[in-house]
Order: sequence, then C-alpha cells, then structure tokens
Amino acid sequence: MNYSRCLSSRSSDLLVLIAACVILVPIGWIVLAAFKSNVDVFQLKLFFSPTLANFATILDPPYVIHHKLLNSAIVALVVVVVSIPIATLAAYSLSRFKLYGASFMLTAILATQFIPAVTIVLPFFLMFRSIGMLDTLLALILIHTSIVMPYAIWMIKGFIDGIPIETEEAALVDGATRLQVIRNIVLPMAAPGVITASIFSFILSWNEFMFALVLTRRDAITLPVGLALFNAETGVQWHLLAATSLIIMIPMIVLALLIQRHFVQGMTMGAVR
Amino acid sequence: MPERYLKYILVLPAILIVVLTTGGPLIYSALLTVRQWRLTQSPRPGAFVGFDNFSRAFESPEFLRALGNTVLFIVLTVTLTVVLALTIALLLQRGGPLRRTVQALLILPFAMSPALVGISWRFLLNPEFGLFSVTLGKIIPSLAHVNWLATPELAFASMVAADVWAWTPFMSLILIGGLAALPQETIEAAQIDGASRWRVIKDIVIPQLVPVLSIVVILKTIFAVKAFDLIFMLTQGGPARTTETLSYFSYTTGFSYYDMGYASAAMWVMVLPMLLLTLFYTRYVLKS
Repeated sequence: MNYSRCLSSRSSDLLVLIAACVILVPIGWIVLAAFKSNVDVFQLKLFFSPTLANFATILDPPYVIHHKLLNSAIVALVVVVVSIPIATLAAYSLSRFKLYGASFMLTAILATQFIPAVTIVLPFFLMFRSIGMLDTLLALILIHTSIVMPYAIWMIKGFIDGIPIETEEAALVDGATRLQVIRNIVLPMAAPGVITASIFSFILSWNEFMFALVLTRRDAITLPVGLALFNAETGVQWHLLAATSLIIMIPMIVLALLIQRHFVQGMTMGAVR
Repeated sequence: MPERYLKYILVLPAILIVVLTTGGPLIYSALLTVRQWRLTQSPRPGAFVGFDNFSRAFESPEFLRALGNTVLFIVLTVTLTVVLALTIALLLQRGGPLRRTVQALLILPFAMSPALVGISWRFLLNPEFGLFSVTLGKIIPSLAHVNWLATPELAFASMVAADVWAWTPFMSLILIGGLAALPQETIEAAQIDGASRWRVIKDIVIPQLVPVLSIVVILKTIFAVKAFDLIFMLTQGGPARTTETLSYFSYTTGFSYYDMGYASAAMWVMVLPMLLLTLFYTRYVLKS
C-alpha cells in the first residue's frame, strides 16, 4: 500500500530528501575536513584546495597512526579467526540437536550483550593489571572474542536453521560421520551466513572503544582510542582527527555495504527476518 | 563418538568462553559491590562493608543525577528514535529510485562507531566553526555563537540529538522489514471502505506493527543504557559532571577515582534491570 499518500507526493519527496541530508551531511563534513589544511578546517568553505598532507602527518610521531591501524587489524582478524569456528560449531549443535538447557543457553548468551560493558571491563582491568597484561594485544583479543561470540552464535544459528536438514540426513544414512557432514555439507551451504557473521564480528571488534580505552595505554592502542591523541593543549587538531576518522570509517562502510541485507538481522539476532 | 556427547562437545568451547569472559567478571563485580576498595591505596579488596556502597550511591547527588540523566536519556532517545524511524520507514514505503537510494544510505551512520559519531558531532557543534552551530546561527541570529556543549541542558540535548542521529537509520531498517511483512489484505480492505491514509496507519498498520515496535523499543533502551563511547567523545560527562549517565558515572568512579567497590555498586544498579529486560525480551518479544 502507498502509505505516504497522506502527504502530497511532492512534500513526501521533500521529507525524504531532508532525511537523506540529515544522514549524509555530518558524515560528509568530517570526510571533507580530512582533506582540508589546518587553516581551512576552521572555515566553513565548501570549496577549498584539497590536500593529502593530513594523511602524511598522522603517520609521523607522535601519532604513528599506522601502528594503531596495525593493532586494530591484528586484533579484529585474530578475533574473527578464533571466534567464528567456535561459534559455528556451537551454532550447528544448537540448531540441529535437542540439548539439555538449550533455551537457557541461548538466553544467557543473548543476556551477555544486554549487560553494560562497563560492568565487565572493571573486573578485567583488575585481572589484567594484576597479571601484567594491561596494554597487550592478547588482552584485547580475549575481550573482543567474548564480545563477538554471542552475535556470531545467534547469527550463524539463524542461517543454519534455514538450511533444509534432508541432505544431512541422507549423508548420515550413507555412513558419513557428523563431523564430515558439518564440513562437507553444512559449511558450504552456511558459507554466506558464516562470512556475514565474520564481517559483522570484524566490524564490532574494529569499532570497539571502551575496552580498548581502559585496557591499553601506549603499545596496544587501537584506532578508535587513537582519536584521543589529537586533543592537543592548543586545542583539538580537527584536520588530523578527521583524517584518522576517515581511515576508521572507510573499511567499515565497505564491509557494511557488503552485508547490508543481513545487517539488521545480525543486530537484532534473528529476531526480525 | 556417540552423538549425545558430541552435541555438548560442540557447544562447550563457546559456552566456556561466554561463562569465563562474562559470567566470571559479573560475579566478581557483584562480590566487589560489598567491599570498600580504593585501588590507589591497596592492590587488594578491602573491608566488607555490606550495602554501604549502595546507600552511599543513593545519597550522592552525582549518582542520583546520573541515574536521573539515564532515565531521561532513555525516555528521550527511545521516543525520538522510534517516532523518527517509523516516519522514515513509512516515507520510504512507496519505492522508486529516490527512496531506494535513501534506504541504502541508512546503513552509513551505523558503520560509524559511536565514538566517531561523538567526535563528528563535537566538530559540527563547535561554536566558532561547527557547521551545525554556524548554519543555525545564520538562520536564527539569536542562536549564533551558542556554545552547545558548555551548559548542562544544551550539552545533554546535544547528546540526545547525536544518539538519535546515530540510531534512527538503523531502527528504520528494522521497521521497513516489519512493514514489508505485514499482511496486505486488511489494509486494502480498509482502503476500499474509504478509510483515510492516516486512519489506516493509525488503526491498522501501527497495531499490527506492535511486535516489531517492541523489539525496537527494547533494543534502543539497551543501547541507551550502554551508551558510553558517544558521551566520552562528545561531552566527557561535562560540563562539571552534569551530563553523566550511569555507564559514564561508573566509568569515572572506577577509572578516574579508582573506587572499585563503589563503581561496582553503581554498575549493579544498571545490571539488574537489564537482566530483567533480557528475560522479558527473550520470553515474550522474540517468541511472538
């Protein structure tokens, strides 16, 4: 049905355009700022001579943003490589078998995502502090794995639920073991779901802020925490900050567009299809 | 291996990770709520103090303000996000190239982390060169050079606006999915009977959308309680701690004042309602 006809079609077009502007302008403005000189950034010029100098400056000390970029990439990649296989096996079992306490497990897994992160970060801070693991990538990888795991389990389970079970049963009758079935039948069919969950997990880890803020100091700083480096005594260095923001944003936008169709499902954990 | 063992072995690693990384810390922080512990004075938890940390919290003006801010932040961001998201979802229903393009754009704010949203908004709101504040000052001259982040009310309003900006597009995507799944027959029947478009939306579409709307409301409530990155980047809880929410209050108590028992108590004031909400979400909302 045509809901928007309660407005004239031109005014509804106008509202849609306004909504698009409201979404785009804040993002566009910070993107533009990344290419402005530190003089232009303090003016509202839409036309300016663009420069790549900001991207060169943020690689120099004291910023060395490529070091933070590397940290972010290592953490996110290791987190995906570790958590996705574990989540896939769990999702398969929860999808295909009747497990004692399955619904409790699923609820508990979901509940972990409802708890404010600050509650979890404090005990971890104390623990890593006492064993000298503050400011290490390993500490971040551990934590991010725990953040990503629940999403990955729910997402992959949703995909496996949608795969018909008959092929598996036929293979089992033909004498294949359960693990062979998982590897040769389920994995290829669930591949789009597993890939989506991997991308989603990568985004979560890449954008994660609070744990990285509390648990890192200098060596293991990730990109989002690195943004704080630009609060100089002379004021915020917006041009450099914008350039770094762009570096954080671009891969995420590309990845988000790749899994656009499944994005909503991932965030609501299969609640809406 | 017999299947009745295998199925548990398959879930075991995942469950262990969740229990060790969330269950463990949660229990530990619960135990800390009844301890007095300043990390600057001692590396180990101090004396057992019963519920002193909780009573201290509920007598502290900063804590009560953070609690009030949290409630207000939830109410404002949830209401605004749901109303705006529903409007956008309804506006985009008709299809066509313009609307399909805009729908594709809805994913963009979500690809920005909340920390980035906070930074971008601080940039937009800068009284001297922020696009938003300067443009607004041009349209309404009396608002020129208003420092949006310098007074408690305006800083709080800015926080709400930035948060609503970040979440509305994503919530519209959920609602677009919900609208597409509605049965069309009753809607068409009402139209044939001559009901106005507005009546159709109010009396038929929205009531049928209630399950999806409740998912949106609950998710947004949770995101509002968890909001931290955005506040950290936008206002730092300031000016003078006036825009702190419970998440932010717990953070400053734990990591600026190193008052671990007190911080844990403040956190648990949030955790309990959240656990109840999870239960409600999985029991009633996901099932329907």
